[in-house]
Amino acid sequence: MRGDRLFITVMLGPALIILALFYLWPMVENLRVSFTDLTLLRLRVGGQWIGLANYEEFLTSPETGRLMMNTFIWLTAISVAVRLLLGLAIALIVNTPLVRHLKLATIARIAILVPWATPPVVAIIIWRWLLEAPDGALNTVLVTLGIIDTPIAFLSDLRTVWPSVIAIVVWNTVPLIALSLLASLQAVPADLYEAAELDGASRSAKFWHITLPFLKPTMVVLGLTSVFWTFNNFVYVWLATGAGPGTFTNVLATEIYIRSFVDFRLGYGAAIGIVMALIMAVFGYFYFRMIGRRQIEEVL
Amino acid sequence: MIWKHVTACLGISLGSAMAALMAGAAVMPGIAQAADPVTLTFRFNDPEQKEMRAALDAFEKANPGIKINLERMAWKDARDQFLREAAVGETPDVVHIAFVWAKEMGEAGALAPLDALIKASPPGKGLGDFIAMDLATGKDGKIYALPWTTDTWAMVYRTDLLDQAGVKGLPATWDELRQVSRDVHAKTGKTGFGFPAGSASSGSLWFLANYNWWSNGKALVVEKDNKFSVGVDKADVAGTMNYFKSYLDDGDTPKSMLGVSDWADPVIIRGLADGSIAIGIMPPASFREAINAYTAANPGKAAPFTSGPVPKGTTVGTSHLGGRMLGISATSKHPQEAWKLVQFLNDASIFTGAYKSQFPAQRSLLQSVDFGPELKGFAEQLTHARTWGPYADGPYAMGSMWNLTGRAFGAALSGQTSVDAAAGDLLTQVGKLNAGR
Amino acid sequence: MTLASSPVSGKPAATSHWHRRMVSGPGRLFEPLLILAGLLAILFALVYPMVFILVGSFKAQGGLLASATAFTWANYITLFSGGFGRFLVNSLVICVAATALSTLVSVNAAYVFSRFRFRGKGLIFGSVLFGQMFPWIVLVNPLFILLTQAGFTNSYTGMIFCYTAISIPFSVYMLTGYLATVPRELDEAALIDGASRYQVVWRIVFPVLMPGIVSTATYAFMLCWTEYLFALAFLTKPAVQTLPIGLYQLFGDDRADWGAVMAASVITTIPTLLLFLPLQARLSAGLTAGAVK
Repeated sequence: MRGDRLFITVMLGPALIILALFYLWPMVENLRVSFTDLTLLRLRVGGQWIGLANYEEFLTSPETGRLMMNTFIWLTAISVAVRLLLGLAIALIVNTPLVRHLKLATIARIAILVPWATPPVVAIIIWRWLLEAPDGALNTVLVTLGIIDTPIAFLSDLRTVWPSVIAIVVWNTVPLIALSLLASLQAVPADLYEAAELDGASRSAKFWHITLPFLKPTMVVLGLTSVFWTFNNFVYVWLATGAGPGTFTNVLATEIYIRSFVDFRLGYGAAIGIVMALIMAVFGYFYFRMIGRRQIEEVL
Repeated sequence: MIWKHVTACLGISLGSAMAALMAGAAVMPGIAQAADPVTLTFRFNDPEQKEMRAALDAFEKANPGIKINLERMAWKDARDQFLREAAVGETPDVVHIAFVWAKEMGEAGALAPLDALIKASPPGKGLGDFIAMDLATGKDGKIYALPWTTDTWAMVYRTDLLDQAGVKGLPATWDELRQVSRDVHAKTGKTGFGFPAGSASSGSLWFLANYNWWSNGKALVVEKDNKFSVGVDKADVAGTMNYFKSYLDDGDTPKSMLGVSDWADPVIIRGLADGSIAIGIMPPASFREAINAYTAANPGKAAPFTSGPVPKGTTVGTSHLGGRMLGISATSKHPQEAWKLVQFLNDASIFTGAYKSQFPAQRSLLQSVDFGPELKGFAEQLTHARTWGPYADGPYAMGSMWNLTGRAFGAALSGQTSVDAAAGDLLTQVGKLNAGR
Repeated sequence: MTLASSPVSGKPAATSHWHRRMVSGPGRLFEPLLILAGLLAILFALVYPMVFILVGSFKAQGGLLASATAFTWANYITLFSGGFGRFLVNSLVICVAATALSTLVSVNAAYVFSRFRFRGKGLIFGSVLFGQMFPWIVLVNPLFILLTQAGFTNSYTGMIFCYTAISIPFSVYMLTGYLATVPRELDEAALIDGASRYQVVWRIVFPVLMPGIVSTATYAFMLCWTEYLFALAFLTKPAVQTLPIGLYQLFGDDRADWGAVMAASVITTIPTLLLFLPLQARLSAGLTAGAVK
């Protein structure tokens, strides 16, 4: 048993030390700063203790409702849902016997890798060009095909700005989902389908009763993982719209940036960061209960 | 087979990890070097890195005891990064800053006061020759930076489109500008006034709104007897918002401009170059970029561009006197050598050689600049440019006002909120800044 | 073993399934056409944006100007004569090292999580996972102070440390999932044969775990390769700066060379794509397959 303890320490030690230095210490520091009025200009001298004032200001600000709505619904819930559905659709199409029969699956898989290999910064630059009005590629196509009469300013029209941002996020992140679901699809035991066919099951019945239940665990993992990657993401909104027009697409992460590095109010920014972390902690708890623990529970 | 590949990859990775860790130790700056030749770090944020390096090589040759490391930070991040570095004393020695940062950085203790250095060895033709010294001087009366270059914004026009629209002469007032933009759009179908209307914190509506107020004798921040207050009322703000909103509502400026925050956005530069935009407003470096884009695409053709002053309101069309300064960081170990470099960078030859995209901030040199026919409007506008003055002196944080103004205008112009609501909101928020600092 | 559920294994059954369909239904041409059209649309949407930028990178002004359409290498020449190669090398060194380091550390940690029972394990595991959920943007200032005090700003070491740290939570999580699919009987047999715990990890488990390690490492590499926030704050000297910073700097305040931006985007994307190509079959075999038993 002694040997085991040493072994555990040696094996686990490096990871925990790195994580403590990188996350734990800054997080504690951040908590402390969130109770002060520290600004970037006074970073040298430090801020004054102001108790819960930052939290109070944030939670009572009239902007906060919209920030939450934007972050939870638009940036996170909708974009993750679209990602999962589209990823599923791609995986199903690539996995059809026809596509595999024509040996197109490998080409498709390589194509799927392209958006994934594209850094978000590059993805946003490209999409801004494609979505441009009046003569971005998308507008040109839509106008030529007669689908719309006048070009749409996708990233500045209130009706299209969120769908456009979501399109960029989805393009950049759907590959991971599609590839994972594709792998899961290919692991569905063929005899399940054969047995169902003998029972005369329709194709939709097979999809709902065999394919989907088989994919469900993977989809849950992917969905939940995507949720916290997206929730904290700053780059997409900031570089695509600058949180505009006005404050229309402002989310929690961009609000932290604006408060900390435009208004220089590090204390206030830190407080928002803590609120975000708390929200994620609640979420993370369920995540852990549902998935994380299962991985280690055999020996728990 | 794939496993062989993977194992090889992994072997290489581990090898590189070790190598990198060792290399990392070697790259750690400064610590290893002895004090013998002094090494200065100069953070220069404009794109002329190659030209500047060549000039610095000449400086090193002339001053054998000094070596210069050149580094660059994107302007958007330069301010945060320097303040962060100053807090821990890990700063470049000479730093390239915007006019309006000098005071706050000096008062925050990030920049060293230059008074003693200036006294011992005055720059150029003496301090009196430098413009915008008010912005370089802190509340404590100390000088924290030396103005280096200056510029302002002016109107730029595609002359061929104006001709097609039958426009005679350049618009002189905001109302005439409104009409010309409409005419161009009606007669040619092109965009009239292609101004960037995006709301991002670094967006340009901030400049346009202020120009409009200034040209009508108002200002967002005014000073009287050392008391600072907001100098516009709700009607002023709403009036300016409605003015710019009408461009978008009438369609002579496309709605897509709401997504454009940078004055050098490719939409604008390209639009001017390929003739889909007739009128713009920008600094000279961006205007040159549009001209270059045009000549690159149409070799041998004369560029159909001209520049003109900012439109008048009740008073002369006023723009901001922008520019860059050079500061010496408070934690620099070699202020003497750094000052030598600052003086070298203010030599006339720099502005005709390495750093031509900006104009010198010394009056004597500014007079001898050849603006050329296209930049005539800029030369004229420079005489009607004002510094941010009370904006920078007062209790209002510049960056926050900039952000709030851009957001409020963006909200009004895009229809996120009504003009009245946005105007009221802006005044409330700016008012809060006064109490806040 | 579930590990080996390669994409190939399901194929024969499905193909026969297809043949049966082919012979069973006459006049079913509509459906295959629909599938192919859908596939084509998807492939186009996925690949076109990159093609757009690849083509643009070979034109003056990125081809954004309608009249500038001639082929040119000029953008790449401008880019590399401006020192962009340095950024590429820096990115490679930092990301490869951080990936190797984080994978190494994570395999060890994952092994312990998957095989041992000890006090506080659930809490520790949960905390490691929580690393993924924290908004990085608020870490920038405290970390900057920490790294400066340690003398690690503007150094490979500091950046490798950061990137190792950001990759560990996800890597541990993924690898623990994979390890759960490796039968413990394997370990036990080796232990009975007299191998030490360390030997079990390196000689027995490591090779079996290889597919999972490859997937995990690839993900970690991507995370580091595209990271921007920390690199911006911690690397200010061109000698150590990485690709995303180099790319971002091409946007001047008053102007941007769009041709160079496109060329730089291509240079930033191609290496990852090249890395993925030989691995693609393995990758798709289970980025999360291990996470779902």
